[in-house]
Amino acid sequence: MAFLAPLFLIGFAALAVPILVHLIQRERKTPIEFPSLMFVRRIPYQSVQRRRITNWPLFLLRCAAVVLIVLAFSRPFLSQTPVQAALAMSGARDVVILLDRSASMGYGDTWTRAQDEAKRVIDGLGSGDQATLVLFDRNAEENVRATGDATRLRAAVDAAELSSGATRYAPALRLAQSLLSRSTLGQKEVVAITDMQRSGWERPEEIQFPEGTTFTPVSVAPVDPANVSVTSVAFNRARFANEERVTVTAAVTNRGPETVTDVPVTLHIDGIQTGSVRATLPPGVAAPVVFPVFTLAQKFVRGVVRADPDAFAADNTFNFVLSPARPASVVVVTRDGATPAESLYLSAGLSVGAPPAFQVETLPVSKLSSTVLSRASVVVLADVTVPSALGSDLRRFVERGGGVLAVLGDRSNALDAERTLLPGTLAPPKDAVGGRFETLGVIDFSHQALELFKTPKSGDFSGVRFFRYRPITPEPGDTVLARFGDGTVAMVERRIAGGRVIAFGSTLDGDWNDLVLKPVFVPLLHQLTRYLGQVETQPEWQTSGQVVDVTQRVAALTAGGSDARVASAVVLTPSGRRITVGEGGAASSVEVTEQGFYEIRPQGSAASGRPFTLAVNLEASESDLSAMDAQEFTAGATGRASLIGTTVPVDVLPEETERRQSVWWFLLLVGFVLLVAESVLANRLSHKPVPVRP
Amino acid sequence: MERHAHAGPMAGARFVDPQVLARIGNLDLVARRVVDGFINGLHRAPHFGASIDFAEHRGYVPGDDIRRLDWRLFARTDKFYLKQYEADTNTNFAVLLDVSKSMSFASEGQVSKIEYARFLAACMGYMANRQRDRVGIVTFDEEIVTYVPPSAKHFDVMLHTLDRAEPVRAGRLRAPLERIAEHFKRRSVVALISDLYEEPEEILEAIKPYRFLGNDIMVFHVLDRAELEFPYRESSRFQDLETGEEVPVVPESLLKQYRELIQGHIESLRAKCAEIRVDYTLVDTSRPLDEALFSYMAHRERTMRVR
Repeated sequence: MAFLAPLFLIGFAALAVPILVHLIQRERKTPIEFPSLMFVRRIPYQSVQRRRITNWPLFLLRCAAVVLIVLAFSRPFLSQTPVQAALAMSGARDVVILLDRSASMGYGDTWTRAQDEAKRVIDGLGSGDQATLVLFDRNAEENVRATGDATRLRAAVDAAELSSGATRYAPALRLAQSLLSRSTLGQKEVVAITDMQRSGWERPEEIQFPEGTTFTPVSVAPVDPANVSVTSVAFNRARFANEERVTVTAAVTNRGPETVTDVPVTLHIDGIQTGSVRATLPPGVAAPVVFPVFTLAQKFVRGVVRADPDAFAADNTFNFVLSPARPASVVVVTRDGATPAESLYLSAGLSVGAPPAFQVETLPVSKLSSTVLSRASVVVLADVTVPSALGSDLRRFVERGGGVLAVLGDRSNALDAERTLLPGTLAPPKDAVGGRFETLGVIDFSHQALELFKTPKSGDFSGVRFFRYRPITPEPGDTVLARFGDGTVAMVERRIAGGRVIAFGSTLDGDWNDLVLKPVFVPLLHQLTRYLGQVETQPEWQTSGQVVDVTQRVAALTAGGSDARVASAVVLTPSGRRITVGEGGAASSVEVTEQGFYEIRPQGSAASGRPFTLAVNLEASESDLSAMDAQEFTAGATGRASLIGTTVPVDVLPEETERRQSVWWFLLLVGFVLLVAESVLANRLSHKPVPVRP
Repeated sequence: MERHAHAGPMAGARFVDPQVLARIGNLDLVARRVVDGFINGLHRAPHFGASIDFAEHRGYVPGDDIRRLDWRLFARTDKFYLKQYEADTNTNFAVLLDVSKSMSFASEGQVSKIEYARFLAACMGYMANRQRDRVGIVTFDEEIVTYVPPSAKHFDVMLHTLDRAEPVRAGRLRAPLERIAEHFKRRSVVALISDLYEEPEEILEAIKPYRFLGNDIMVFHVLDRAELEFPYRESSRFQDLETGEEVPVVPESLLKQYRELIQGHIESLRAKCAEIRVDYTLVDTSRPLDEALFSYMAHRERTMRVR
């Protein structure tokens, strides 16, 4: 039983009233006549403190009335029906053991202790009881399904291994909820054995175990854990003598309570130590460690930053993979006879980057040829009239997967004879109404090219003023990316075969608008170019638990982006397992769950050369070993702040809820009936004739 | 006034309740058999006298009345013997009734002590009257209220006096009893009916003169059940009926002590009365009247046998 308004229980203090009333007796108003006080006078007068409760029935009646009324106001409700309670109290148990195997459990002897705790729970099973072993990290896995075979369960616990996954409680709790909701046994229990990492709670989860489930958290969290971890790595790349030189900077964090001094941090490139630095870290401080520069000459170079191992060794290692930058080729096409200033913003904007993301080539339209197009990834047409002879070449270029950014000005027209290349049809140039300016009214931030600017403070387009523009009328199938304030289309995309064409309805030379002067210009230009060229960059590392589309990456990074994508690939995990993905229509993605390096080869390709490699690291939050209080953990899991929580009913109909709470009405009624009875009894007692009739 | 008018010619009738008299009558018959069938003898004369009831012979001593010599015995034995007879003279029976204010007390459902005392006095007077005794009554509180000297014709007056007796004033025993004692020159049977709210020594001092004058004294200690058991529960002020004094009382705290005190008082009275051969009877007004009378008569009978 629980209470909706437990504060009203303070009303139990009112029990003092009947006690005081019964102890402090009132004297009768009229004196009792007695024949002679000869003997009474000889007895000393007794004080009230020595009195006792004389009328127990009346006293108990009053106390009962007070108790019932206070209980009624506290709105008690039954968490389960009596029948359910009886069932829950009897019968066999169904225990779900949630065993945390996340990477953080590898701290010291935490994992061994957790296994011991799990075995202790298994040993406590009685005949008829059954248990399910669930191993969880980021995901939850039903390791041994409901069984009463303790030997099997113990073997499963012994065989369980730590993973490199991060801690997430919600999937495990949901699985337990699902398992128990199907259970037919009388008593349901969840035992969570975990280090209670605070980072495991992403947000308040709506976990609702079946009614009557007992939730028992078992904490194996280390006390004041000392932990040094390498949390991230940054790269500074520079081109020198046609070579790329990289400086690696690692962030080393001390999450322990004490200062660690002279921790050796080393950098290994392709298995060879190239640098070693000693770091001194006060508690709770992350310090950068800079290693000597090295030359990056090959693709898929494996790097490892390693701090001196401590009790939690897994997060002392940070893996990454580097490949020489391979900038996309961008051809900026200007009108014949154009001054360099006309394409200054475009070429300069595209050349920004260390190393530059794009290899920019600026040339007049007359120099544009199929040869030029063949080595280009993206063509930027900066307000030019494309000769009709080039239309078909341009079209083939796009169909091959190339991208065209058509910057529209006075000279722009259809790109090919069929007028199918340019998205939409162009209207004559238009000045902003009243000599003022237009702004971008609507921007489709859901588009892949503009997604970067979706979040606040990620690019301000509101300050861009357009004084003159060329309205575009898109055709069905075209995707509008942006509109001016008057509703006319400012940017539109058309996909043709494997390529993409985006038309921008104003110039990018600072003449028709001031976009090129705004901070958002360079990111926008890069995003559009990267989108059009379908440039995919390989992240230097992945985090454990991420899902990687292997076939796309293999295609992009091994075949130079020009070949057809491979259908399937073989993945070699850090532990040496071979996984074939994408074969026979199977999923072409793989979840990287192990810390280390994954090797991926297109199926059927030669084994020579460096394979496509992915580096996988622990999630940074896993290094944060700060633990939750067991009570807090229970509250998060069951919504109740007690060490051993029993859950409230789920999916109870409103009528049932009302019925379970309706006991207050009955209590109030009985309380008032008792009050009436008390009044009657008290009146009878107070009017009871004095045994005197002079 | 109304009470008297209502009583009218039937005054005294209520004291001789037929049912009560029936049982007393039965007891009377029993008593007659016990005392050899004498019609007028539940009690005997306190001294020998002229009577037809032979008691015993004893040797003549000079000074004896020679009229009492048994000449027949002298003829047979040649010795002088006197014949002794039971006194058959009617005796005086007087009731000394306490009509102090405290006698007005009655607990719920019970007759008041004064009413009970009236019944008791009337019954005993009736019995005495049937024995041809002379009956009289004295009512007193702190002084003598009424005095009806014993007489063979005073039974009705006695009943009338009982009917008129109203407890209104405070009472004392010693002064009025000492004054009344002066009137009891002739040896009498005296029944003192009172609640005896005085120290035992005082009470004894008050009744001793009667004893010394040769009277046969019976003390009826009339108490209500409430006075014996103190059945109160509520904390109250208690008012003395006679003095009007009020005392705060927590009954539960003094219950035990009160009972001990009243019992001590009773036992003390019983012992002191026994010392001077005074019959003491505790009368509980909650018990039937005839029971009290029977108790008395039985006791009386035993004492007569011992003579």
